Amino acid sequence: MKDSFSCSLLCAIFCLMFLASCKEEEIEFSSNNCKANPSFIQAMGFTPRNSFFSTSDERTMGLLLLESEQPGNPKARITKSLQHPSWRRAGWLAPILLDEAGNIYTAPAPFINILDNPIANNNTIYKIDSKTGLMDEFLRLPFADSINTDNPFGIIGMIYLCETATLYVSTVAGSRRYKEKGHIYAIDVKAKKIIDEINHTDAMGMGISYVTGQRKLYFGTGRNSAIYSVNLSAKGNFSGSPVEEFTLQDMGPRGDDKVRRITTDQYGNLTVHGIEFNFNLIAPREKQETLYKFSWNADEKKWVSLK
Amino acid sequence: MLTHLKRMKQGNRPFSVFSFFIIIFLFISCSNKKNSGEGKIISKNEDALNSVLLSADSLITLPFVIERVNEIKTVLQLPRPVLLCKDRLDPNQSAAQLIALNDTVFTQFLKDPFSKQPLRNEIFGVYPARQSDMGAVKQPYNLSSCFRVEMYNYALNNTSIALVDVQQQKVLHSYYLANSQPDISAYLRGLAVKIAVESPEVQQALGIKPEEKNALMASTKTSLNRSRCERSRHLCVAPTFVKGDKALWAIVDLTDHRLVGVRWTNVGNSGPAAPMMTERRLQDDKITSCYCEVEQKLNRNGWSMNYMLTSSDGLRISDVRFNNKPVLRNAKLVDWHVSYSGTDGFGYSDAVGCPYFSQAAVVAWDIPKIAELKDEKNNAIGFVLEQTYRSEGWPTPCNYNYRQRFEFYNDGKFRVACASIGRGCGNMGTYRPVFRIAFAGEQNNFYQWRNAGGTGSEAGWQQWQKEKWNEQNSLSSFTAEGYQYKISNGQAGYYIEPGRGQFKDGGRGDFSFVYVTKNIPGREEGENDLPTIGPCCNNDYHQGPEKFIEPQPDDISNSSLVVWYVAQMKNDDRKGNEYCWAENVLENGIWKTKVYPCFAGPLFVPVN
Repeated sequence: MKDSFSCSLLCAIFCLMFLASCKEEEIEFSSNNCKANPSFIQAMGFTPRNSFFSTSDERTMGLLLLESEQPGNPKARITKSLQHPSWRRAGWLAPILLDEAGNIYTAPAPFINILDNPIANNNTIYKIDSKTGLMDEFLRLPFADSINTDNPFGIIGMIYLCETATLYVSTVAGSRRYKEKGHIYAIDVKAKKIIDEINHTDAMGMGISYVTGQRKLYFGTGRNSAIYSVNLSAKGNFSGSPVEEFTLQDMGPRGDDKVRRITTDQYGNLTVHGIEFNFNLIAPREKQETLYKFSWNADEKKWVSLK
Repeated sequence: MLTHLKRMKQGNRPFSVFSFFIIIFLFISCSNKKNSGEGKIISKNEDALNSVLLSADSLITLPFVIERVNEIKTVLQLPRPVLLCKDRLDPNQSAAQLIALNDTVFTQFLKDPFSKQPLRNEIFGVYPARQSDMGAVKQPYNLSSCFRVEMYNYALNNTSIALVDVQQQKVLHSYYLANSQPDISAYLRGLAVKIAVESPEVQQALGIKPEEKNALMASTKTSLNRSRCERSRHLCVAPTFVKGDKALWAIVDLTDHRLVGVRWTNVGNSGPAAPMMTERRLQDDKITSCYCEVEQKLNRNGWSMNYMLTSSDGLRISDVRFNNKPVLRNAKLVDWHVSYSGTDGFGYSDAVGCPYFSQAAVVAWDIPKIAELKDEKNNAIGFVLEQTYRSEGWPTPCNYNYRQRFEFYNDGKFRVACASIGRGCGNMGTYRPVFRIAFAGEQNNFYQWRNAGGTGSEAGWQQWQKEKWNEQNSLSSFTAEGYQYKISNGQAGYYIEPGRGQFKDGGRGDFSFVYVTKNIPGREEGENDLPTIGPCCNNDYHQGPEKFIEPQPDDISNSSLVVWYVAQMKNDDRKGNEYCWAENVLENGIWKTKVYPCFAGPLFVPVN
């Protein structure tokens, strides 16, 4: 009863907030393109224009700062590389996100084995300070009630909503083959606090788009090839339950790809990066990635594949 | 991973009219979203349990398959080694086919560019061209006289396409599509159905021998655009047989002309579409349901045991008995350490195990196999329990293939062995598999053989009092029979004979590290599934088991003991010396893999 009352009260308050913030729904085109360069890049003698961060070097664990002759060209010669000693602290890493102050958010992800990535650390977000370049623990997400060695993964995806300074983090920690226990957390970065969550969802890659006229978080899961969406409120909270938008099933060379990442272009089209994923540690180099493009058909009100 | 924040498109949204509904919606969604509970339960699929997987070496030889293979062999001898379309073609279609075969782009993949050996190519179809096919054609043409000719290359898994104008007697445009298969011809469809219908596994699943007309291929045509054999990269199709509310999927490999496996799925008019049944799904689901989630029992030749696949310790045997006497508590393959250089420490530490929800980097590829063990005179002397693990891209570089093998002899001997079958990331690789072998019994002692010393010491067995390790090298002592160690409780036990190239399986010696640790219940030293315990690239005894010895070794006399065995195999790609290696060779126009396994592992011989 108490829960139900709290929920009603919350909803009423939320609704008032929603009315008040109605204007904020008119979102500027560049509203989610706020990333800034960390100031430590220059301090470390790197040219920001030619530099980038990587967590995918097979021989170097952790985060790397690299300077390239031709930024954007993966085959271009790397002219300089640097690793702050603290960037190895969390083992092998995967996502890299920049905020408007140039802080970097990342999380551990096992690479081939868990020798350097103990399962107990897989639900921890790390932050690299924009000024000092020092990596430190940012937030430990609630850990699953049962750690199991069958599933070596924790945090898999991250995306940042600039308007509200909200970090969305997907984690599959604690999930088993027959029990889906993953979460998507919405984290107020400034308050360093979880403000909302979706449970029982093994979400992986995520993306944010406004193309349907609504601010939406799109995500795929490690369980099937579907892409879901959930509305985001003006405060960055989840609004309503996730709905299935479209699927990668029977598409591409494998026919059952899972979503590693979702990006959008200036037209609002979604590019879904699909890979094979079965909650094991098969080396990423063995996994072919396929890009699937989808466009919003306003007449039919559905996403259609751009072949 | 480089991360970019993308620009978002501006969107306006009407709001006020929906506010009432939003309130109601929020009431509903609020309770759903926040419910943390125990997690969403995913139901088990019983159909996976009952599916059947066929190994490549168990195929039956059907007369029409022999006929087809002979035809292929004949065609491969021709100057233009192409199997022509066997469907009924009108004169214009036949002409289009022949014109296409004179085009250099269309025929660029008829032979291997290096060896000049023929590759298997087949024309799958000759179709009237559609306007949409002609986009790249710049010259004038009459559409009604144009045909689209599609040819498949089985060796390279690609499709060549030619747009032919028979009136002008020339190819207007030609190109190829990598990793792509055209729609199969009616002849091949018939061949696939015939293979399925004649297969005992299909007949057994259906309870009758089905008629060819019962196979639903037409309705599944759209899904034939992609091969069902994404792992082997062979051309596979899936004839289905509907029985009541279920459909039996038979995956047929048209490259090797064999049935890959069968599985039932539910059919229905509503609900989410059933996932596409493919070679990988069939294999992974079967392995998981029958060997990762369930322990199997094995009774044979006086031996009894349980076995199952683990998340990261390979195939684990447990409660092993011979003539009802306990032998092993359990044995498993904990890690594979692969080092490519002693100088810069590059390599990988791979775990092997289950395909879903596991810490395995190289996953079980097939179900465990049990086979008869024979001597050189073909006498049955025991049996083998063997498991294969593979990377998807093997034998291409940086992909792996491992084999784990337990041999059980009728006289009570047994062997714990494994092999790498390459190919890995280079020809400077050293493989170090880590076995954990836990012996039955609480009063065991461990001994090492010492030859007579120069100082007058006598040859004999010397007991290890404390946990320790030892390396098998050129200075090691062996008994006349080749035994280096002994484990015994005073009444019974086993001699341990490391590999020194004597087992006639191609092994060239184990050069092993042997560690003995005390099993203390409650101490997590590997009785449960172990994560990777050692790094890739240590060249010395630091392979992981030493963690359970150092810094203070326990007393191991009259104890429950665990023997850890780490062999060291160095790969070789030199012609005639290949070891831990694999390479592709052309056979009947398609690539087959020639393997050079490097087997290692000790033999355990009962102490009489």
